[in-house]
Amino acid sequence: MTGTEQVAAPEEPGAAPLKVESPIREAWRMFLRNGSAIAGLVLLIGVILVTFIGPQVYPVDPFEIVWAPLTPPGVDASIPFGTDYLGRDVLAGIIHGGRATLAVGASAAILTVLIGIVVGALAGFYGGFVDEILMRLTEFFQVLPPLLFAMVLVALFTPTLTTVAVAIGVVSWTQTARLTRAEFLKLKQLEYVTAARAIGSRNGRIIWRVILPNALPPLIVSATLIIGVAILFEAGLSFLGLSDPNVMSWGLMIGSSRSYIIDSWWAVTLPGAAIFITVLSVSLIGDGLNDALNPKLRER
Amino acid sequence: MTFGRKLLSATALAMVFAGATAIGGPAPAQAEAKAGGTLVIGSTQKPRHLNPAVQSGIATAVPGTQLFATPLRFDANWKPQPYLAEKWEVSDNGLDITLHLRKNATFHDGKPVTSEDLAFSLETVKANHPFKTMFAPVTSVETPDAHTAIIHLAHPHPAILLAMSSALLPVIPKHVYGDGQDLKTHPANSAPVGSGPFRFVEFNPGENVILEKNPDYFIEGRPYLDKIIIKNYKDTTSLTLAMDKGEIDMYPFLEGARNINRLKENKDLTVTSDGYAAVGPINWLAFNTKREILAKKEVRQAIAYAVDRNFITKALHAGASTIATGPITPASPFYTVDVAKYDLDLDKSKAMLDAAGYPEKDGARFSLTIDYIPGGDEQQKNVAEYIASQLKKIGIDLQVRAAPDFPTWAKRVSSHDFDLTMDIVFNWGDPVIGVHRTYLSTNIIEGVIWSNTQSYANSEVDKLLDAAAKEPDEAKRKADYVAFQKIVADDLPIYWLNLLPYHTAYSNRVGNPPLTIWGTMAPMDEVYLNN
Repeated sequence: MTGTEQVAAPEEPGAAPLKVESPIREAWRMFLRNGSAIAGLVLLIGVILVTFIGPQVYPVDPFEIVWAPLTPPGVDASIPFGTDYLGRDVLAGIIHGGRATLAVGASAAILTVLIGIVVGALAGFYGGFVDEILMRLTEFFQVLPPLLFAMVLVALFTPTLTTVAVAIGVVSWTQTARLTRAEFLKLKQLEYVTAARAIGSRNGRIIWRVILPNALPPLIVSATLIIGVAILFEAGLSFLGLSDPNVMSWGLMIGSSRSYIIDSWWAVTLPGAAIFITVLSVSLIGDGLNDALNPKLRER
Repeated sequence: MTFGRKLLSATALAMVFAGATAIGGPAPAQAEAKAGGTLVIGSTQKPRHLNPAVQSGIATAVPGTQLFATPLRFDANWKPQPYLAEKWEVSDNGLDITLHLRKNATFHDGKPVTSEDLAFSLETVKANHPFKTMFAPVTSVETPDAHTAIIHLAHPHPAILLAMSSALLPVIPKHVYGDGQDLKTHPANSAPVGSGPFRFVEFNPGENVILEKNPDYFIEGRPYLDKIIIKNYKDTTSLTLAMDKGEIDMYPFLEGARNINRLKENKDLTVTSDGYAAVGPINWLAFNTKREILAKKEVRQAIAYAVDRNFITKALHAGASTIATGPITPASPFYTVDVAKYDLDLDKSKAMLDAAGYPEKDGARFSLTIDYIPGGDEQQKNVAEYIASQLKKIGIDLQVRAAPDFPTWAKRVSSHDFDLTMDIVFNWGDPVIGVHRTYLSTNIIEGVIWSNTQSYANSEVDKLLDAAAKEPDEAKRKADYVAFQKIVADDLPIYWLNLLPYHTAYSNRVGNPPLTIWGTMAPMDEVYLNN
């Protein structure tokens, strides 16, 4: 046979047209039904607004020494959140530091997902020898203690935001890889994949255009959660003194003020609260997406 | 009975000392010294081994000075006192120093301390110790009899008296260390045999050092203590808590402002900054004068005008530290206060940079980096961050360059791969030992940390320092050092910021706390405990 035959949908005149909602709209509708997910979304929008518009509204240089060191909140209206160990405005640090923190979180999550998807997709799709090699590699990375490994990576190169983001990405991709592999193992046996193969699609096309879009829902959920983990990771590395001292970030604020926590809780607790709110909002959204995108959970 | 006599003389001595402390300061007046008891000292410094002949640093010096006696010791007024040497003479031309050793001194293994041991020790230190200037002028050591040693010098070398005290010239037994093994890795470094007031019991690296009373100590009736335990803590916070709770009796080299202030509130403790005169620990900002911009004196001075030393000591260090105005510690007899001061003046600073040919363009004149020693945030990182925020005000973009660990920082600085760096350098008593190394143009040695890593060269300074090193007359020597301090404070290869707020905290039951110029890096044979 040459040419493919178009099968037209049978039209039944008079019958009401079948209402088919697009999957994205449907997921969105499901998402909106979830109260905690909406709360998460509102929080995240708030965080993003503060981070990206805040610096214009509150243009105090976070590195400038504006008051006596370790002044508690409420002493003066110009420093509502108090000052840190150098006398820098904690509020300015939180507002200006969000950008770097979110950037590290997002870029580390993107890197994590990219590495994870490539490794997982190749392993799951090809199986056999490729699978063996890639999965042993994944296991190798999985057994390394992530924080220790990230510390080594950051210490080897100078601590900058880029190295921190890369280090987080490099140590945390294994879960995504395993998840992607599992999805691929499942999906590659389905009929539409066989069909795609039958019409002569190359492997590359099948992997990236046929299977991957269908494997995305769980990956999106996991990527969202990874943003939260990455932000915490950045804070953890900063806590251990491994962060770029020239760029204000929440992790840096916590890390450099940690030894003052007994006398001056605000310098650590307030940026900590900012991290908490951000991670919480991302997690709530992740949970909401999980419910919305997973057909098995939809009818609950 | 010997014991009775010892106790009696101990009591008499203690009364003399109690009188001295009553005049000296607010130390609790204790009527008499009691024998016995265990002194527990807390420290975060972990020694590699216990032989100060081949290892510098506080960690080895504190136990090392208890284990090994030195020819001399110094009092709180920088005056040499007899120790292993009961008398000494310096010849008129300053080239020969004759030491008369005590005849009753023995090592912990019972063998007598002889001039042979002294000669061997001096050669060992000269060959192995990092402070090369201490004994460099020594040409030979003559030993006419078992208890007389004559040190021959190539030129007069007044610093040698101080170099024969504290941890700098421990007299080590030739019959133990002279067996041909490499001194740096000698097994007896970790289980030393000395002639000091305390002898070795146990050394658990990273945990503790246990020493016990040397019953055959050459000074009658001493030491009072039965035992000294130096216990290691992982950080200053846990050590401060231990001191606060009374788990330990003494915390030397206490330095965090908040830790100091916390312990000062404890009524059972005394916290003092005495005992660090000889150490002279200076926290400073060093310039790499090989960098094109920083080669200009005016730029270095302009940076100094933008950095407020008062803010550093009062605000960043909460009043615990004091300002360092020059290369020599204020406690030294050679110090002068009369040098250029660079009080905060941002306008002057900007004008100087304009005049030096660096006008402000788009808010920045130029970019530089600053390094700091990782670990001690209060003295290093926080000050570096403060300097960066100050230099921003005068249009200099200063990037703080973090180093993950000490070796990384040391490698950058010793290979001259830096613009500005924070640093902490000790005076170590005599300027010849701890000061010259930073400013002599002959000491620009790549790869060696705490050499002249600033690449500073001024022939006038070289001449003055060389002259001062050989000047036996103390007044003339001081004149040379005063001239030197004025020149370097003007050339400013280094901007001295503050003295480290080293303090000793000790329980009020400690009598005769070690507060001479060497503090706890001196024999604690007079220390006692009340209960």
